[in-house]
Amino acid sequence: MIRETIEIINKLGLHARASAKLSHLANSFASDIFLIYNGERIDAKSLLGILTLAASVGNKITIETNGKDEKKALKEIVALFKGKFHEKS
Amino acid sequence: MNKGLVITHGNLGRELIAAAEGILEEKVDIDCLSFEWEDDGSETLSKFEHYLNKNQGNNIIIFTDMFGGSPTNICFKFSMKNIEIITGVNLPGLLKFLTYKDKDISFKEIVKTVKKGAIDGINLISEYLGEKKK
Repeated sequence: MIRETIEIINKLGLHARASAKLSHLANSFASDIFLIYNGERIDAKSLLGILTLAASVGNKITIETNGKDEKKALKEIVALFKGKFHEKS
Repeated sequence: MNKGLVITHGNLGRELIAAAEGILEEKVDIDCLSFEWEDDGSETLSKFEHYLNKNQGNNIIIFTDMFGGSPTNICFKFSMKNIEIITGVNLPGLLKFLTYKDKDISFKEIVKTVKKGAIDGINLISEYLGEKKK
């Protein structure tokens, strides 16, 4: 199991479209993937689960991956956050 | 195969599906029937029966806008093991269905999960914030 904590840098935070991209990406991996934020731990493969976090820009969030492709999963999910979910701002 | 059909008054269903497509950034596999204002029920019922004939053998979740409304009433009697009707359609419920319908779990489990997703999508923000402050 590996983890990384990063800051949310896209302006709209984990809004619906960003959460959809994140859950879609998470579902492409065999590993279990969780997001830990504000004392809550949710399944990153659930779009509605991600939305319940209501995580905004500037907040720090921990990504946890556990499984045979955990390194690749963590790397690609971190890249999605750092790439602002392909948004302009 | 698990199929979805949204039946609502006017364009509500079409717009909900358009919103889901905007969020998921892809065309989604779900059908829609609009109960038009001038319809006495026969037109929508005819389209609905045509839909059921076309989808025989599939599991179907029908999303209607309101318990007691005409879109719900016309399909009420068709509720059976492989045709479930969920009233009070909302965006969280639709998104749950669209992201779960192809999973390798039973239709019963999908229906239960979709209903829960729809209900959990209704929150009172003051209560939510109250919980967070505890």
